[in-house]
Amino acid sequence: MWKFIVRRLIITMPQLIVLSLVVFILASMMPGDALTGQIDPNISPEAIEQQRERLGLNNPWYIQYGDWVTGVAQGDFGQSYRFKMPVTDLMWDRMVNTFWLSLISVFFIYALGIPMGIISGRWNDKLIDQLITGYTYLGFATPLFIFALVTLWVFGFQFGWFPTGGSVASGLEPGSIEYILSKIHHLLLPGLSIALIGLVGTVQYLRSEIVDTKQKDFIITARAKGAPEQRIYNRHIFRNSVLPIAAFFGYEITMLITGSIFVEQIYSYPGMGALFIESILLRDYAVVTALVLLFGLAAILGALLSDIILSIVDPRIRIK
Amino acid sequence: MSKSLMGKYLFVLMLALFLVLAACGGDDEEGAEDPEEGSEGTEETEEQEEEEEEEEEAVDPEDQVYDVDDFPLVTSNDGEPIDGGHLNFGLVSDTVFEGTLNYNFYSGNPDAQILQFLDEPLLRMDPDHNYNNEGAATFEADEEEGSITFTIRDDVNWHDGESLTAEDWVYAYEVIGHPEYTGVRYGTVGFTLIEGMQEYHEGEADSISGIEIHDEKSFTINYERLTPSLLSGGIWTYALPKHIFEDIPVAEMEESEYVRENPIGIGPFKVESIVPGESVEYTKNEDYWEGEPNVDGVTLRVINPNVVAQELSTGGVDIVNSFPADQIAENLDMQNVEWLGDIEGSYTYIGFKLGDWDAENGEVNYQGDDMKMGDVELRRAMWYAVDNDRIGENFYNGLRWNATTLITPWHEVYHDESIETPTHDTEEANRILDEAGYEDVTGDGYRETPDGEELVINFASMSGGDSAEPIAQYYIQAWDEVGLNVELIDGRLLEFNQFYDRVGQTGEDDPEIDIYQGAWSVGSDVDPTGLYGRTQIFNFPRYASEENDRLLDEGVSEEAFDLEYRQEVYSEWQELMVEEIPVFPTLYRAALYPANERVTNYDISRYGTEWHEIGVTEEEPVVE
Repeated sequence: MWKFIVRRLIITMPQLIVLSLVVFILASMMPGDALTGQIDPNISPEAIEQQRERLGLNNPWYIQYGDWVTGVAQGDFGQSYRFKMPVTDLMWDRMVNTFWLSLISVFFIYALGIPMGIISGRWNDKLIDQLITGYTYLGFATPLFIFALVTLWVFGFQFGWFPTGGSVASGLEPGSIEYILSKIHHLLLPGLSIALIGLVGTVQYLRSEIVDTKQKDFIITARAKGAPEQRIYNRHIFRNSVLPIAAFFGYEITMLITGSIFVEQIYSYPGMGALFIESILLRDYAVVTALVLLFGLAAILGALLSDIILSIVDPRIRIK
Repeated sequence: MSKSLMGKYLFVLMLALFLVLAACGGDDEEGAEDPEEGSEGTEETEEQEEEEEEEEEAVDPEDQVYDVDDFPLVTSNDGEPIDGGHLNFGLVSDTVFEGTLNYNFYSGNPDAQILQFLDEPLLRMDPDHNYNNEGAATFEADEEEGSITFTIRDDVNWHDGESLTAEDWVYAYEVIGHPEYTGVRYGTVGFTLIEGMQEYHEGEADSISGIEIHDEKSFTINYERLTPSLLSGGIWTYALPKHIFEDIPVAEMEESEYVRENPIGIGPFKVESIVPGESVEYTKNEDYWEGEPNVDGVTLRVINPNVVAQELSTGGVDIVNSFPADQIAENLDMQNVEWLGDIEGSYTYIGFKLGDWDAENGEVNYQGDDMKMGDVELRRAMWYAVDNDRIGENFYNGLRWNATTLITPWHEVYHDESIETPTHDTEEANRILDEAGYEDVTGDGYRETPDGEELVINFASMSGGDSAEPIAQYYIQAWDEVGLNVELIDGRLLEFNQFYDRVGQTGEDDPEIDIYQGAWSVGSDVDPTGLYGRTQIFNFPRYASEENDRLLDEGVSEEAFDLEYRQEVYSEWQELMVEEIPVFPTLYRAALYPANERVTNYDISRYGTEWHEIGVTEEEPVVE
């Protein structure tokens, strides 16, 4: 197993290098650069040209890439042109926000999705199952960005139960109880929006696994032996059915870092997803490349983690 | 309900959802920040679309046409401001603010919105865009000597209590002119015309020889020559507190905590706390030189354009920095909000490519007749062919209207109303084209060039906002009606960055583009050289002529200190542009600002907003 992990990690390196190269080339092919937005008769074009020169934007891409790699090797991801601050600091601020948002959504996904899946699988084709399955179809069909707008409108504006944007109320002392409560208050609605749409996959997987497992021979045997229904579901069926969800868990971890572009935009929540889209639109290359690299790394590690979790929960799988 | 019936219902439901999805698909690419277009690029939400449909049967405010003159400039609430009020300000933007919170370093508009509360220019401006002596400092120009002497009022202090000195103001010049300065403010006449600035900027001198400090509060700047541009926005009027910044190397100032975390200024409000990118909390500056502000504090929050209407109607914000143009019509009937309106200093225009950029000599390479659009009669016919008032009424409910000349009515002193410009007249357009020899020889419904060659005009237009596509299509149709074959370049609208890259912001013009639709917002100085001068890269039509050079030079000459002379020069220039038509303006714009009914003394007129005077007359915002 350790061998496997190490081998996977070694393969990761060239993957990341190729990824960074592709991203860098694509980024430099994008029209415009960080200074395009500065078309303003009150700023002299010479000043803009000087900035381009200073930032090395006039160099060919391979020189820019070389500079960038040298920096990265020393732990320096460069400077965000737009925010005038080191990319690492910028990402760190945003990552903390996204981490909490994703944690709360993952929590809701499992806290709501698993019971729903179990109920739906256990009483399949009953009314409650039809309601839950009906909901999952709707959930599959509803795009997250529409759903998030609707929840924002209903619960944020109509009822006014939740704040409608940002990550924390302004003017609070960081670290104080009010500050933390305000943060949680800001997280609930976007977190729930993500979870209510995100859980449909979990529910469906779990349901079909349970329905499947229910008819397996060993369950019939257990029933025949007279095991109580509760025990059959909790010990035998649930443990077997939870495998695909466990496999999925690694990818959910990836989400902890990458965040949700739509939801963060709609709730003006300053997280990684929002940072990513803004940086692309404003051609803040240093941030874009650093983010893609980070997302790539998260995806690769997430896949690895999934494999490892699977091998732990399912003794039949042995990684060789 | 039988199973098969249930199945059918489900199918219909799925189909409906699919349609919703398809309808939303196109809006996804929104959001390119466009400094000219303001925050127009907003997605319409599903709810809003549905609401609109319902409303159509009733009064239909969608089709009503408004006039900017119907809107007041100042809030009508004339109640006494209450003590201890708090104002909520919405910064409408789909991106977070950068947080470069000092006028000497900022570059983006969101940051400027934050700065207006905490700092201010030392010279105020009159509505006719000239500096006056009513601000925190006064000035006196000596035309003989070519110098201007500035005197700062005694009671102007920084937020930390230190007195604002002449040295602080001069320090701003020294930092911006410094070879290691990292911002974008150097390069305008306010700096380059100062004696000795060039040497200082190149690192050859340690100080700027043209600036003399007399005492604590006054100093003189000697210019190589005086131009009217200096007095209408050219002078750099923001000071930099030397006692705070002097120990920080110039290259690192922009990143320092006094720019990013604890910004300082002389304005009516002090920054209490900042949540980076999201919100700023201000408290009043009791020591403000014009008197104590009427409200105790201001909360500024970034508001996504998608939700700004809801925020206003629920009282979440009292006033906002801008309101998305394509949402205005459906929100004008909001009960708890008063709408203020004024003409905006910007215009939309159609430009004709008449040359390219000569990077070697740094000037426009005007090729006139050799270009596809080289024939002025063709350009004039295209102007006659379009009905801009109709666009203004249909897409903007009259809040944009037919533009005439390239100097907008925002510069009312210089805007020449008497100039006759082509307005919609299809027959006239046809006549001009016939006379100029553009005839349909091949019989395909489109005119050929006088030489009998096929004429396909490639049109570049920018995406963003719901109306970008239909407007572009309207123009194409209007030209089609007079027999001109105009096609969207690549068959689609161009994203903001790509648009300006191909139109030529780096000097590499795309030769495929023949005409384009752009927009400019103009500065306080009426001088249009930055957009139409021979050596200006932003002169996208690449038009140049000796007459144009002469007029632009005369407009900023010393004689132009005489207002009548300057008016005459710019009238002549506007006339010239109508004759030569390197571009033709299509729409002038109104800017509308909503204000909660509890807000008082809010004045949106040009340079008229006084943040310390704004008050609220009720503790809580009025809700709908």
